Amino acid sequence: MFYRLSGIYHTRYATARQLWPIPADRWQVYFLLLVGVAAPLIFSNFTLTSYLLPWLIFTAAALSLNLLMGVAGQLHFGFAAVMAIGAYTSIHLVRIGVPLEFALVGAGLMSALIGSVFGAAALRVKGLYLVMATLAMQYLVDWTIINVPAISGGAQATLQTPSTTFFFVPLRSDTARYYLALLWVLFVTLLILNIKRTSVGRALVAVRDKDYAAAVIGVNVVRFKLVAFFTSSFLGGVTGAVLAFCYYQAVTPEQFTFNVSVQLVAMVLVGGLGSVLGSYLGAGFVLLAPIALTNFAVYLNQMGWLNVSANLLSHIPLMIYGALIIGFLLLEPLGLGKIYDNVRKYLLVWPFRHSSM
Amino acid sequence: MKRLFKKLAGVTALGAAIAAGPALAQEPIKFATPLDFTAVYTFLTNEYSEGQRDYITLINERGGINGHKIEMSVSDTGNQPQRGIEAYNRASRDGVVMVDFLSTPVARAMVNRVLDDEIVMIMALHGRGDASDGKTFPYVFPLMATYWSQAALLIDHMNQNEGGLEGKKVAHVFIDSPFGREPIPVLEELSERLNFELRTFPYASPGNEQSATWSDVRRYRPDFVIIWGAGGGQAVSVRDAIRNGIKPEQIHSVVWLAEADMDTVGRDVAKGVRKFQAAVSGTDTPIIQDIIKEVIETGKGAGPRENVGRTYYNIGVATMAIVVEGARIALEEFGAPLTGDKLRQGMERISDFDAQGLIPPATFTEEDHQGGGFGRVAEWDGEQWAPLGDWHTSFQDVVWEEIREGAEEFRESRE
Amino acid sequence: MAYFFELLINGALTGLMYSLVALGIVLIYKSSGVPNLAQGAMVMSAAYVVWLVTTWGVPVFLAVLVGIVVMFIFGMLAERLLLRKMVGQPIIMIVMLTLGLEILLRGVGPGFLGAAPKQISIGLSLAPIIIGDIFINRVYLVGGVVALLLIGASMLFFRTRMGTKLRAVSDDHVSSWSVGISVERAIGVSWGLAGLSAIAAGVVWGSVQGVDWTLSELLFPAIAVVILGGLDSVAGVLVGGLIVGILGSVVPGYLDAVVGGGTRDVVTSFIILLTIMFRPHGIYGREDIERV
Repeated sequence: MFYRLSGIYHTRYATARQLWPIPADRWQVYFLLLVGVAAPLIFSNFTLTSYLLPWLIFTAAALSLNLLMGVAGQLHFGFAAVMAIGAYTSIHLVRIGVPLEFALVGAGLMSALIGSVFGAAALRVKGLYLVMATLAMQYLVDWTIINVPAISGGAQATLQTPSTTFFFVPLRSDTARYYLALLWVLFVTLLILNIKRTSVGRALVAVRDKDYAAAVIGVNVVRFKLVAFFTSSFLGGVTGAVLAFCYYQAVTPEQFTFNVSVQLVAMVLVGGLGSVLGSYLGAGFVLLAPIALTNFAVYLNQMGWLNVSANLLSHIPLMIYGALIIGFLLLEPLGLGKIYDNVRKYLLVWPFRHSSM
Repeated sequence: MKRLFKKLAGVTALGAAIAAGPALAQEPIKFATPLDFTAVYTFLTNEYSEGQRDYITLINERGGINGHKIEMSVSDTGNQPQRGIEAYNRASRDGVVMVDFLSTPVARAMVNRVLDDEIVMIMALHGRGDASDGKTFPYVFPLMATYWSQAALLIDHMNQNEGGLEGKKVAHVFIDSPFGREPIPVLEELSERLNFELRTFPYASPGNEQSATWSDVRRYRPDFVIIWGAGGGQAVSVRDAIRNGIKPEQIHSVVWLAEADMDTVGRDVAKGVRKFQAAVSGTDTPIIQDIIKEVIETGKGAGPRENVGRTYYNIGVATMAIVVEGARIALEEFGAPLTGDKLRQGMERISDFDAQGLIPPATFTEEDHQGGGFGRVAEWDGEQWAPLGDWHTSFQDVVWEEIREGAEEFRESRE
Repeated sequence: MAYFFELLINGALTGLMYSLVALGIVLIYKSSGVPNLAQGAMVMSAAYVVWLVTTWGVPVFLAVLVGIVVMFIFGMLAERLLLRKMVGQPIIMIVMLTLGLEILLRGVGPGFLGAAPKQISIGLSLAPIIIGDIFINRVYLVGGVVALLLIGASMLFFRTRMGTKLRAVSDDHVSSWSVGISVERAIGVSWGLAGLSAIAAGVVWGSVQGVDWTLSELLFPAIAVVILGGLDSVAGVLVGGLIVGILGSVVPGYLDAVVGGGTRDVVTSFIILLTIMFRPHGIYGREDIERV
């Protein structure tokens, strides 16, 4: 009843193979797109800068990681380091006068190069050992950034983002920053949505499923693993740069530590490996749940319903957040994207139980 | 269902209270302290926040500042900049005039924002030392001696009260992080000026294992040792130092050394360890006595009674004392309602304020947001921190050179 | 030269103390194939439990015994409630689950018991043991001895009846079922034993640095030990621990002055990387042969 399925048939491959063949789905996507574009007009500045902006940027990061983990099946516990490389490179490039547009690309390339070095470990091992290898590399990059003052911005270890323009639009107002982030996340979304329809994407999926079988049928496993790391690191690097310019505006090494890598992996896993919508949902959950829980706990305390010490009050969000992660993984290992999928499948033929087709 | 009604009732009551509020009392002054309760600063935040809250309660019990009560919100950022940004945006939307993060990474990320939004940000004993330059950072107040001033004061004490530094060897043992590195430029400058030998010994974060470092220090046979860490690593430093034959009297620490660390080392073992003291410890000062009488004993304390008078508690009280004084001056000079700009100007007019003996007399000006860089060295006598001398300040010329350099870099990068 | 030996000995002892943490990881991985990244948090929780009991006036050694019981039960519960449902799921999910458990524990411990560092004292004086010009840390010596005892005990345990069952389970779950071994019970026991080693690690490290959330950061060097020694080898824990400890002490001892920074984490990272590049299954680990 919610999704009009009757009368929808496709006579051409082009329409049958679209991303959203059912018009109801398409309208939902257009609506969300409209909301996203008109967000500065609809939402308050506070919601825009505190919730929407970081959510979009971290979604882009989750999507980039999802390309690597969900589509290509390579585990990466050092993605924050990749983003850090992108952020720092872009700032240094802009400081020496490169325009922002090129600095973003340059940052992406730098991250891609170093990220491919990370990827070289993937040629050797997989699974848990790849996790450990990328973890070790995360620490190495962290250490390099902190101990080389030329990179990290001197003894103060803070690097301000210079004010710049993006395609002649000065990046000074919150709206401008929001639109840059929106542009970037839309680009990454389209990329990931379509990746599985290309031969590269199919090769990556083959490598994920069984790499030796893929090698047997002629897929160059070495090449595609490196391609996966390169692309995903490129996207991650540009995302790191966007994060620096649009959100943080001053980068410190603490913004890209191992904890952030774990958060990114949590975003991908809680959202669902390989699911685009899942990346959005997962990023929103991992990013906003601690904030929402903190504010809720403070509210309860002020109302007098939760009279505990400030220490316990501030640790409660941490406990609930950990419990939620465990809960999600136990309840639906395939993630929030799968939960949405289940709901959608249910509503697709509601009030019937199933369709006869 | 019952819960829903309760919640609705609660919300309505809150709404009514807010609506009725202004009619009953003068406009409240709003502060926000999104601190780090769960990550790096946990060794400090509980006591510090308790001190801040108890002092604000004291002021509110007495009727507020000229009739204006203070509302202070306390929340947790987990040392994560994005949570800090959200807390800050929420605070500025609510009309907050002062914000305190107690987290160097978060504070550093916020500097641009507070300068744009004209909200006062305090960074007591941490954060950017160069923010002492009030001209470049009008809305950022280090409030007390920055790390540079602390290092300078320790060196001065060694020079004047412990036999002079000429030709002696000083070891700077620090945690390998920007915080640990911060005093090194000042130490190097002073080593040239006072003609002593300086060697730096880093240990890996978080500092739970330092035996290799201290083996190295022992072989250097220093005359004086400066330890520069925070949290659990400090106790490990003191222990490993004593274990390697360094006498407690040779150890001089940054301000982040407190009773809890002395307990870990062993109260008698650590007798003689020196540290930089920014505020009086213990419950003997009038302010702390007032807090005990009017806040703790009436049951309005924000935390356990044992914390009152401890080092970090008193520092928390001191920060709020200074800000409240600045607010009081601002209200007298400029009248209500209090804005960030007025608060800033009020604070810049504070002169010789010592919070009834809790802190060294602090004087702020438009140029100097550090308050003069006063402090003193205190020694652990087995029970508490006993001061070795009066409040004083040292080598501010060296310190201000660093401040000016950093501020200039900030100004350039802001272009 | 004495400097080198001092670094060597203290480093070896530190490495053995890391092995205490790593032992828990190995015990769990050996039987169930789960890499327990929450082991650092379990060490922290174990330390908190022991501290809590000592605040009730109980002497440290009794508190340790109470802690052993509590952590054993906790380990078994964690396995029963959380890990059993994740059987068969991809490894990344399980890793994320243990990370979620770590976040939870990091909230529970400091939240309910206070976030400031707490003290556990095992009654040792600070005076070092001096051999010539070499100072040996007394607490580290005790820690090293405890580690050796526990590792020895584990090896002996694997010769007992229960231990043989555990070895069978670590080899192949299906075969174990087919000969009547309760795989679930065995995995539960191994989690319980991991809790036990967490107590040892928690008390030793807690007395060195105080009990607070930073105890969970011991996970990183423990991972290096486990990777180097082999994820499923107890002997590997011993050898890996010694190597990680020694390298982590000797190399920074000479390199820090040159580089001006704490290079211990760099050394640990390189150990992990080099091991994975050249011998992924570690020194004593069993090679995972993937069947086509």
